[in-house]
Amino acid sequence: MTDIATATPAPALRLPRMPWYVALGMGWIIFVLAVALLADVITPYVFTAMDLKYRLVPPFETWAHPLGTDELGRDVLSRLIVSIRVSLLIAFGATVISAVLGTTLGFLAAHFRGIVEQAVLMLADFQAALPFLILALSVLAFFGNSLPLLIGLMGLYGWERYARIARGLAISASAQGYATAITQLGATPQRVYLRHILPNIASTLIVSMTLIFPEVILLESGLSFLGLGVQPPMTSLGNMVGYGREYITRAAWIMLCPATVIVLTTLAVSLVGDWLRDRLDPTLG
Amino acid sequence: MIRFILTRLLRAFVTIVLVVTFAFVVLRLSGDPATIILGPEAPPEAIAAFRASWGLDQPVMVQYVQYFAAIFQGDLGMSMRDGRPAFDLVMERIPATLALTIPALFLKLALGVPAGVYAALHQGTAFDRTVMVAAVMGFAVPSFVLALGLVLVFAVNLGWLPSGGRDTVWHAILPIITLGLGGAAALARFTRSAMLEVLGQPYIRTASSKGLAWAVVVRSHALPNAAIPTVTLIGFLVGSLIAGAIVVESVFSWPGVGRLMVVAVANRDLAVVQCILLLVATTMVTSNLIVDLLYGALDPRLRHGARAAA
Repeated sequence: MTDIATATPAPALRLPRMPWYVALGMGWIIFVLAVALLADVITPYVFTAMDLKYRLVPPFETWAHPLGTDELGRDVLSRLIVSIRVSLLIAFGATVISAVLGTTLGFLAAHFRGIVEQAVLMLADFQAALPFLILALSVLAFFGNSLPLLIGLMGLYGWERYARIARGLAISASAQGYATAITQLGATPQRVYLRHILPNIASTLIVSMTLIFPEVILLESGLSFLGLGVQPPMTSLGNMVGYGREYITRAAWIMLCPATVIVLTTLAVSLVGDWLRDRLDPTLG
Repeated sequence: MIRFILTRLLRAFVTIVLVVTFAFVVLRLSGDPATIILGPEAPPEAIAAFRASWGLDQPVMVQYVQYFAAIFQGDLGMSMRDGRPAFDLVMERIPATLALTIPALFLKLALGVPAGVYAALHQGTAFDRTVMVAAVMGFAVPSFVLALGLVLVFAVNLGWLPSGGRDTVWHAILPIITLGLGGAAALARFTRSAMLEVLGQPYIRTASSKGLAWAVVVRSHALPNAAIPTVTLIGFLVGSLIAGAIVVESVFSWPGVGRLMVVAVANRDLAVVQCILLLVATTMVTSNLIVDLLYGALDPRLRHGARAAA
C-alpha cells in the first residue's frame, strides 16, 4: 500500500471535486460544528443572563447585541450559539444511537435468521407504520422530560432503516468468499461482523446517517417548538423559534435567527448527504 | 390471491396489537396518573379511590387484559380532565382536522405529481432544476418555519389573511398552504425519480422504437408503471390525514385532533392521548393495507411473488 502511494506522486492531497453548493454545504457544516464546539468561549454573554434595560433591541442596532435581544433582554446571539450546541448534540447523539441499535439488530437478524429475523422485521414494520411524532409525544409526556431521555427517544428514530440495510447487506456479505473464509479460519461471529463485514458496508451506513441526521434535527426542533422537547431554561433551536413566535409582530428576529440556522443546517447536511450517496452508493433510495 | 389478502390482514392485525401493547406499556406504567391528576398533595384516600375507579390497583396483567377487552368493545376511557369519553372528544375534532388535511392532500397531488412527471420528462432543463431545488427546500424548511414565514408575510406585513383561529374560510388558507407545499415538494421528488427509473427501462425503448408516438409511450407505458411506487407514498399521505397536522394546527390555533393531542400531552390526559394514538395507528394500518391490496391488483408480479414467499 505505502509503496504504491510513494511511487505515484501527485494525487495524494487532491480534494474530491464537488459542485459549488455541496462545497457551501460542507463549509456551513464545518462552521456550525465549530460554533457548537467553541460555544463556551465565543458566547458574548451567559445565555440566560437578563438585561431588562435592553429588551427587544433589534439586530445590528448596537455592537453590544449584534443579533438583538429578546423580551427579557437576553442576548439573541448567545442564545443562538448555545442552541446550536444543544440541537447538534441531540441530533448527533440520536443518530449514533439509532445507527448502532439498527445495525446491531440488522446483524442479529442476518446471523440468526428464523424467529429473531421475523421479530426484528416485525418491529421495523411497527416502527414504520406509526408516525414518529405521535410515538415521541406519547413517550415524552409520560416519562417526563430530560435531556438524556430526549436523546434516547430520538435515538429510536430511523433505527428500522439501518436495520433493514444492515440485514440485507450482511446476508449478501456472508455469502461472499471473504466472510466464509474467515469463519472457517475460526473467527467468532463478533469478529466476522465487526471487523470484516462492518468495514465493507460502512459507506452505505454512513450515507444513511447523513440522510437521517437532518430529519432528526427537524424532529427535535418540531418537538421543542411545541414546548414538548428541550425545556427552559435550557434552549435549543426549535425552542427559540417556539418562544420567539409570541413576539412575531414586534420582534420577528428572535424567531428568524434560529429558524434560518435550522433551514441552512438541514439543507447543508442533506445536500452533502445526497452528493455522498450519488458518489458512494447510488442504490440507496 | 386469498392467501395474499389473508397474510396482509394478519400483518395489519399484529401491528394493531403491537400498537395497543405499546400504548398500554407507555401510558400506564410510566407515571402514576392518580398523582398527576389529583396533585401530589391529594389525601391518600382520594388517591386510592381514584386508582380503584380507574382500575389502577389491579395487577398489570389484569389491567392489560381488561385494556384489550375495553378497547375491542369501543371503550377508550374518559378524559381525565373534563370527565367526558375520550372517544367523543377526539371525534368532535376530526372534522376540523380533515377540513385542513383533505384540501391539503389535493393541493399536494395537484402540484406534486404533475411537477414530478414533467420534470422527469424534461430532465436537466431549467424546470427540472427548479423542481429539484423546490423539493430540497421543501424538505429542509420545517413546517413550523414555513407556517411562521407565511404568517409574517401574509398576516403581519400584508394583513391579507388571519394568523390563527377557525372563524371563517379565510382562516383555513394559510394552514392548507403550509401543509400542501411541504408535501408537494416530497411528492414531486418521489414521482420524478419513479418516473425516471421507468423511463430508463428497456420496454420504454422498445415501445418507442417500434414507432409509437412518444405521448402514447408516456401515457400507456411509463405512467402506469411509475404510478405503482407513487401509490405507496399517496397511501402514506392518506394514512397521515389525521396525524399530519399536529405542528401546523398548533401554529394556527386550529381546533383539530393535532392540537388536542398537544394539549392532552401537556396535561398528561392519558385517555385522550391513547385514543389519538390508536386512531392514528388504525388509520395508518388501514391505508397501508388498502395500498398493499391495490398493489396486488395493479401489479400481478407482487401478487405472485407474495404467494411464493408466503
